[in-house]
Amino acid sequence: MRRRVPLGWIRPAIWLPLPVVLAIGGGLWQWGAHSLPYLLPPLSWVFDSLSGHLSYYLRNAGTTLGEAVAGLGMSFVAAFILAVLISEVPVVRRAVMPIAVVLNVTPLVAIAPVLVVAFGFGPAPKVIITALFCFFPILINTAIGLRSVPPPMMQVYQTMKASRLELLVHLRIPTALPFLFAALRIVTPLSITGAVVAELTASGSVGGLGSVISVAASMNQLAVVYAAIFILAVLGVLLMLIVTFAERRALRWHESSADRAN
Amino acid sequence: MQAAAIELDSVRKVYGAGAAATVALNDVRLTIEPGRIATLIGPSGCGKSTLLRLVAGLEPADAGSVRVHGVAPEEACAAKLIGFVPQTPALLPWLSVLKNVTLPQKINSGAAKRRERIGDLAERTRARAGVGGGGVPDMRELLRKVGLGDAVDKLPSQLSGGMQQRAAIVRAFGLRPDVLLMDEPFSALDEFTRESLQDQLLDLWSEESTTVLFVTHNIAEAVRLSDTVVVMAPSPGRIVESVDIGLPRPRDQRVFEERGFHDYEDLIREKLYSAWRSPDAA
Repeated sequence: MRRRVPLGWIRPAIWLPLPVVLAIGGGLWQWGAHSLPYLLPPLSWVFDSLSGHLSYYLRNAGTTLGEAVAGLGMSFVAAFILAVLISEVPVVRRAVMPIAVVLNVTPLVAIAPVLVVAFGFGPAPKVIITALFCFFPILINTAIGLRSVPPPMMQVYQTMKASRLELLVHLRIPTALPFLFAALRIVTPLSITGAVVAELTASGSVGGLGSVISVAASMNQLAVVYAAIFILAVLGVLLMLIVTFAERRALRWHESSADRAN
Repeated sequence: MQAAAIELDSVRKVYGAGAAATVALNDVRLTIEPGRIATLIGPSGCGKSTLLRLVAGLEPADAGSVRVHGVAPEEACAAKLIGFVPQTPALLPWLSVLKNVTLPQKINSGAAKRRERIGDLAERTRARAGVGGGGVPDMRELLRKVGLGDAVDKLPSQLSGGMQQRAAIVRAFGLRPDVLLMDEPFSALDEFTRESLQDQLLDLWSEESTTVLFVTHNIAEAVRLSDTVVVMAPSPGRIVESVDIGLPRPRDQRVFEERGFHDYEDLIREKLYSAWRSPDAA
């Protein structure tokens, strides 16, 4: 299916809709900026701010990206290990799963101020908040995935008395991979959200696009706010591209079996 | 003395409890000698798949004893005496065909030692003397033999259902199992594919002379493959009768045209229907 797409780009019906919508959106924005200059800065101002202070934005973007990736990485490792424990040890499952489900629906944003009080304005509370945001979706998805080996597959290897480690390595973890990537697709945008929320909460922070936004907003520099938001969107897209690329590489078998099912 | 390959004595299996309890198997006795193909046939709910799962050690019996070469099923599994072919191919979709069929040889590497300890190894080995020794079979060669020579590096999803099931059979044979358990392995295939897979199963079996316990609901398949057809009936699941099939081997596709073949088919059909009409009160 993917192979047909490059040819399709020749046809206007394929490539035209997006530019049209972008043009209409841009036009509406400019009209809004003209009639409500205190709410919307003209796009040219945003662009000027971006090009004039690019290194400033990039430095702060680096801070935010670092926090997001560190938090995501930490929670990935921790959630994966805990998911394996949950899947292998019923006692741990019964102890942890209910808590995980409750915490997953708890608005963890509310914990942010407490963490800032506890850990100060450095990177620690930001990384921890990001990790918390990402933790439960990864945990729950992976734990379900590890338990999703089709019974006949399991039976074939049970009749060889495969050890639990062998079942984990050869059957459970590969089966859980599509679930894990589904979690990563949910959690990657959340990691940036987590970092920005933490920066907004710790209003005295020295860096990060979140603090850029909160400082600029308090001084009514709306062009700066939107420039920072634009950079955040780019960061999110970049991270998603990396996840998509990794997924394509790791799950080539999965994609081809999905193609067949269609 | 040589133990039977499979021996069930007074086996009972009940699912559920109280009023909702279903007797899946009641007072089942069955003995299968080494190197023979036995087929379990009967309508759904007669407990044929349950019986197979008991022999595979996937479920415990509620009463009675199940022995595989004189030991409990769990022990037989631990020694990798048992090869299991489920209804679906159950190949690992992330591994190539070749890796799928070689992975079992790497699993449970302590099995070889346990295998030696099970009593009648000498007889079992002698029974298959001349079949390429006792070593690990060349899986590429086995795959080529069933027509998967060009598919070794493909993923299971790139193969047809019949080819996948062939790979699943090769995977089971690759363990050189003493007992091969097959749970309706061809039921999802079209008739032509099914008959050609029967050919290949018989070919592999004639070289390995493994004991085969085969579950099916197809009478022609049962007659063609079996030395013994075990007719089962439901509610409660039980064995009605064992019919020995005296047709000469090898049985290629011409066997379907023989008079004797159809006589056996009629006999088994008649036994299935009479058991169906008069449910046992026990």
